[in-house]
Amino acid sequence: MIRFDQVSKRYPNGHQGLDNLDFHIRTGEMAFITGHSGAGKSTLLKLVMCMERPSTGRVHIGGQDLHELGSDDIPYLRRQIGVVFQNHQLLFDRTVFDNVALPLIINGTPRDEIGRRVRAALDKVDLLKKENLYPISLSGGEQQRVGIARAVVHKPALLLADEPTGNLDPALSAEIMTLFEDFNRVGVTVLIASHDLPLIARLDHRMLTLHEGRLVRDGE
Amino acid sequence: MAENKRNPAAPRKRQTVDARESKNTHAPKGAARSQRNWKHPLRSWLGSHRDSASQALQRLRRHPLSSAMTILVMTIVLALPTGLAVLIGQVERLGVDWQRAAQLSVYLQDEVNASAAEQLRDSIAALDEVDEAQLLDKALALAEFQEHSGMGDALEQLSYNPLPSVILVTPASIEGGASALQPLRDRIAGMSGVELVQIDLLWVERLTSILAMLERFTGGLAVLLIFALLLVMTTTIRLAIESRREEIQIIKLVGGTDAFVRRPFLYIGMVYGLVAGILAWLLLAGGIAWLNTTVRQVAALYQSGFELLPMPAGDGLLLVAGAVLLGLLGAWLAVGRHIRDIEPQ
Repeated sequence: MIRFDQVSKRYPNGHQGLDNLDFHIRTGEMAFITGHSGAGKSTLLKLVMCMERPSTGRVHIGGQDLHELGSDDIPYLRRQIGVVFQNHQLLFDRTVFDNVALPLIINGTPRDEIGRRVRAALDKVDLLKKENLYPISLSGGEQQRVGIARAVVHKPALLLADEPTGNLDPALSAEIMTLFEDFNRVGVTVLIASHDLPLIARLDHRMLTLHEGRLVRDGE
Repeated sequence: MAENKRNPAAPRKRQTVDARESKNTHAPKGAARSQRNWKHPLRSWLGSHRDSASQALQRLRRHPLSSAMTILVMTIVLALPTGLAVLIGQVERLGVDWQRAAQLSVYLQDEVNASAAEQLRDSIAALDEVDEAQLLDKALALAEFQEHSGMGDALEQLSYNPLPSVILVTPASIEGGASALQPLRDRIAGMSGVELVQIDLLWVERLTSILAMLERFTGGLAVLLIFALLLVMTTTIRLAIESRREEIQIIKLVGGTDAFVRRPFLYIGMVYGLVAGILAWLLLAGGIAWLNTTVRQVAALYQSGFELLPMPAGDGLLLVAGAVLLGLLGAWLAVGRHIRDIEPQ
C-alpha cells in the first residue's frame, strides 16, 4: 500500500527532512511511525499525502507512483486517503454533521447517501447525538473523534494519523487507538505517527522508528 | 503482491499503474464507488453548484454590512455611466426628431401665389438630391410656428401673418454636413420665386457633435468605472478567500479540487453583481421618474411635450446581465492564482 524507495527530502534551507528511507507497508497492515519531534514523522506523512515531493527517490501509494502524479491528480489521490490530525483541522463554522460530510460532498456522493454514511461514521465514534452541534462546544476528545469520523466516512483504503492522541489524556488516547484498531480489523491500512511510546508499546503492531530523518528501527 | 488485490488507493483519474502491479486489480470497492459516481455525475455536479450558490447567499447573510458596502459601490459604479448613456440617448432622440423635420428651408417671395408655389415644390421634389419636399403655405407655417416655437402667444398679438410660405426640403443624404448640401442650396436659390434658402443643419450638427463628445466622455467614464468595479470585486473576493484560508486548506486536504474551492467565490461575485445590477436598474428607473417632473416643466415652458422615456426592460436586463458577468470576471481574477497558492501545510 505504501512503498518508499530510497526517499530523501532536503529542504531549501538545507535541513534534511528524510534521509534515504526504504520501507513497505502492506495492504491491511497497521503500523506506527515514532521518533522525537523533528525526526521526520510529519515529513513522511506529507510525502504520502503529496503535500510535499521527495527530493530523490520514489513514493508509491496503492501501486501508484506519486512521481507521475500531476498537480491536477492530487485531489483524487487524497480522496482515497483518510487523515487525522493532532489539531483536528475542523471547520468551526459548520456543524459536526457538515464537517464529517465534507469528503462525501467533495467526491460527489448523492445527497440521500451522504446522510446515511455520515450517521454511520458518527455512530462508529459514538457521536451520533451530537451531529447538530458545532465543534466548539465539544471536548478535545470529542473533536478528535469528529476528525476520525471525517477521515473514515468515505471508506478510504488508507488511514493516516499525525499525533492523533497528542492533546489527550491516557484513557482517551487508548480509546482513540482502539478505534484505529477497529478500522484496521475491517481491512483499512493504518499508519500512525506518534511519539507516545508507552501507549504504542502496549499495542502489538509494527513500529518504524525515525531518528534525524533516518529509519533506525523497523519491527514489532 | 497482496496489497494490489484491491488497489483502492490508486487515483481514479489514473488507473494505469504499471502492468505488473495492476494485473489482478479487480478493485471491487473502488470500481463500485466510481460506478456509482458516474451514475449521477450531472446530479452531483448540480448539487455542488447548488451548495456553492447557497454558500454565497450565506455569506451575504453573515456579513451584511461589508456585503452591502461592496454592493452599493458596485451599484453606483454601474448606475453612473448607464444613467449618462440613457440621458444622452434621450437627448439624441430629441435631436433626431428635429433633424427629420427639415434640413433646408426654402423661403418663397411674398408675391408667389399658391399654384406657383405648388409647381416650385414639384420641381424641387424632382431633383435627385432631394428625398422629399413639403410645402407650408403662410397659414400653415404660422400654425406650425405657433405650436413649436414657444412664441405662439406673441404672434397672436400681430394683426397680419409675417411668415412667408416655405418649402421644407429633406435631402436624400445629409452625409458630409452643411458643406455637402451647398450645391443643392445654390441650385434651389437660383430658381425663380425663391427668396432665401437656409441650411438648418448647422445647429443639428453642433448638437450632434456635442452629443458625440458626451458619448465619448461616458464611454471613457464607463471604462474607468468598470475597471474600478473589477478592483472592488477582486479586493472583496480576496478578503473572502483570506478569511477562509484554513477552510480552503482543509478542503484541499480531503481531496477538494481547485475548481471545487473556487466555485463558491465565483458565486459570491455573481450574486454581488446580480444584486448590484438590480439595484442600479431600480436607481435609474427612480432617477428618470424623479428627473421627469422637472424635464416636463422645462419642456412645457418651450411648449413641448418632451419627456424622458422609462428605461426599456431589455436594457435593464442587459444591465443586470452585464453586472453579473462583471462580478464573475472580478471574482475570477481574484481566485485565479490565489487559490492555487493556498496549499495545506
